[in-house]
Amino acid sequence: MTEPEPDHTAGPLDGFRAIEYSETPAGAYCGRLLAGLGARVTIVESAPGTPLRRRGPFRADTPDPEAGATHLHLNRRKNSVRLELASAAGRRLFNQLLSEADVFVCDVDRRRGDELDMDPVAIRKRHPELQVCAIAPYGLEGPKSEWQAAELTLYAGGGYLRIGGEPDREPVKAWGDQGHLQAGLHAALGIVSALYADRGGQLIDTAMVEAVAFLLGGGYQHAWFSDREPVRNGARLVGFGPGHLYPSTIRPCQDGWVHAHCNNRYPEAMAVLFDEPQLAEPALLANLMGRADEVDSLMSPLLMDTPRREVVRRAQELRIPFTEVLAPSEVLADADGHHDSRDFWQTMPHPRGGDFLAPGPAVRFGRTKWIEGDAPRLGQHNERLGTPDQRVRWRRAGVA
Amino acid sequence: MLPEARLTPYPQPDCRPLDGIRLLDMTTAVAGPVATTLLGALGAEVLRIETPWAKPRNPASALPYRGTGPDEPWNREPRQNELGHSKRSIALNLTTESGREVFLDLVERSDVVLENYSPRVMGNFGLEWDALRERNPEIIHVSMPAFGNSGPWRDRISYGPGIDAMSGMSWLTGYSDGSPLKPGNFYCDQNAGLSAALSTVAALLARGRVGGQTVELAMLEGELQLVGDAMIGQQLSGREPMRIGNQHSSAAPHGVYPTAPLLDDPDAWIAIACRSDDEWNGLVKVWRNEAVAWDRRFATGLRRWRHGAELDLLLSEWTRQSDPVALTERLQDAGVPASPVMGARALLRDEQVLTRQSVGGLMHPQVGLSPAPQAAFRLSRTPAPPKNAAPLFAVDTIPVLEEILGYSKARISELLNSGAVSDRLVER
Repeated sequence: MTEPEPDHTAGPLDGFRAIEYSETPAGAYCGRLLAGLGARVTIVESAPGTPLRRRGPFRADTPDPEAGATHLHLNRRKNSVRLELASAAGRRLFNQLLSEADVFVCDVDRRRGDELDMDPVAIRKRHPELQVCAIAPYGLEGPKSEWQAAELTLYAGGGYLRIGGEPDREPVKAWGDQGHLQAGLHAALGIVSALYADRGGQLIDTAMVEAVAFLLGGGYQHAWFSDREPVRNGARLVGFGPGHLYPSTIRPCQDGWVHAHCNNRYPEAMAVLFDEPQLAEPALLANLMGRADEVDSLMSPLLMDTPRREVVRRAQELRIPFTEVLAPSEVLADADGHHDSRDFWQTMPHPRGGDFLAPGPAVRFGRTKWIEGDAPRLGQHNERLGTPDQRVRWRRAGVA
Repeated sequence: MLPEARLTPYPQPDCRPLDGIRLLDMTTAVAGPVATTLLGALGAEVLRIETPWAKPRNPASALPYRGTGPDEPWNREPRQNELGHSKRSIALNLTTESGREVFLDLVERSDVVLENYSPRVMGNFGLEWDALRERNPEIIHVSMPAFGNSGPWRDRISYGPGIDAMSGMSWLTGYSDGSPLKPGNFYCDQNAGLSAALSTVAALLARGRVGGQTVELAMLEGELQLVGDAMIGQQLSGREPMRIGNQHSSAAPHGVYPTAPLLDDPDAWIAIACRSDDEWNGLVKVWRNEAVAWDRRFATGLRRWRHGAELDLLLSEWTRQSDPVALTERLQDAGVPASPVMGARALLRDEQVLTRQSVGGLMHPQVGLSPAPQAAFRLSRTPAPPKNAAPLFAVDTIPVLEEILGYSKARISELLNSGAVSDRLVER
């Protein structure tokens, strides 16, 4: 048997076709991952386009449906087809697209799904070979399946909000749309698993709130075995007893913040880094988390006197895993040239001229490729639908 | 009276998506084990390769003993119990030539090797890609380095929370008047674990076309996908994105508000998100506060956002008198996204969680029924709930050598005697 050749021009999902209808970052990130992995992903949009197009920031703060940051990031390497889903002819065309696809991703809640005639169970009946991935706030079943949700309430409902923030203030969520993005990631894993299973079309019922609840990990053991649960603890790790290792926290230093973390095998190495023998005292080492305030105080003099880069350089030399807390502009500036050496940031053309940098591969394959591309203009790929005569008819009827 | 926490054992389906796939799991810490528990639940036979003397660091934190057999605290370690499910356990000493040979024999009969060591470690074991591929050209080698297998930061060390710092995620997370915070306990790890599981299945799908291959999931690059819009937004606007806590960038009220304490929980809060006039009108209907309803400061979305702090104060005064669960139900009925701020205890007695079995139980021989969340998707034909509780240490060493590798009894006892493999924890 001859060994197969590598294919450095296509992704591992090359040949699979997905149709995406998204109104949130969950479906859009799911589609983005499938597209990066090589599937041909087409977003179906009714005028005025997916709501993600209305999200900023925009250049010069001027709203522009082709050029918002979320659209430019999450819709990369997708095709866009504009269809008027409210019309019967538009829905027929939509069904035709589904009949030629392997995967359908839809992220609306049940009420909105009914409005759009996108009931996943009905779609699956019409297209039995299609993998139908429904990403809904609480999933398709259960007493909360008709609940409304926003990113913040998903974070609350999934239990992850509770562990974020200072103990004497309200809980605070992570930046951005992390709950939605995690849901998109779970959905993508469900989809590729169904494709691999190759047992015909499946319903992939994905609950956004469960993607958040999944993040709690060990929290369920605390709750089940001891009826306790982790309490938010500022920048420190939560849910560990006084004997657990410390630091794992964010501390101020001369020019910003560092993430301070001890070497789990040699916690006493901190004494060398800070030139502070008390950090190696056996009584302290036995109770590091319990005496976290004291550890913070012992680290402070050197931190407040030293720039971030220097702190991290010295720590890493001692194999102590400190890192710098970087602002977005600093991540992009890439002072050490790490991202540049890996060709990570991709230069993308801005739809109104000029370039911008966008994140590159989430994963790198040895014999296939993560595939990049631009975000599409609304309806950019309508010319690929039907015959020229049909396109004229659809345009006249306002369908596509 | 509060309902009790409930845990029903996961049903075990007849077929799972990755049936027939065998994976060698060389992972440590959090990110790698998250990937392999997911792949195990999806049906892969995951052989967790343990070091024979890998004693947990803190036996004092062991879960309570609720078994019938011998009591071994190292089998009751919470982290191991959380991240070891849906796997088998074998102990190999990879620093010996015979242990390494056993490993390579397993590579011949496996589909995936998944590890999250620093980039130099597999080479130190003599188990780099070429060595694996020589024994099995179909093998998929998934690595999960912190910063990548190349570049100036290749040999830097970090756990997930340190990568949250390097990706901009920590800088972006926190109160608008506060310092950077972590986005969660092991957020970067969870993201990397899921991303690695996704990439592994993608590589399996491509195997017929291109054969085995390497898959490199740098945790930092996985997390940078999650802040892509902040990075692009910074360039488009020319401004550094700000920490905004629970606020919305253009709508209010949108926050977390105190409520009356619950019977068993003084730390009670409700999250409310009004992003449109419809949602605001729904809130006003439930609130029944004429002064607020007619207040010109709150007459339009833009005004509410500008006067968000004043609105939050008024709203907090009202929510403070309410039960978070009852108030959520009234707000949901009025079309307003709202939720009590749940915790793990509340989730274990939540009807939605119970109905969908978002968290189910696995029977462990020494700790009894043990909770594990399942992935957020349900596959209608090939379900993938967690498979088995974390295995006892090295319990599968001998069965694996016999059944998978077909070793003779004499060979197995030679390997046990030499310390190349072990069927129990070795004192060292």
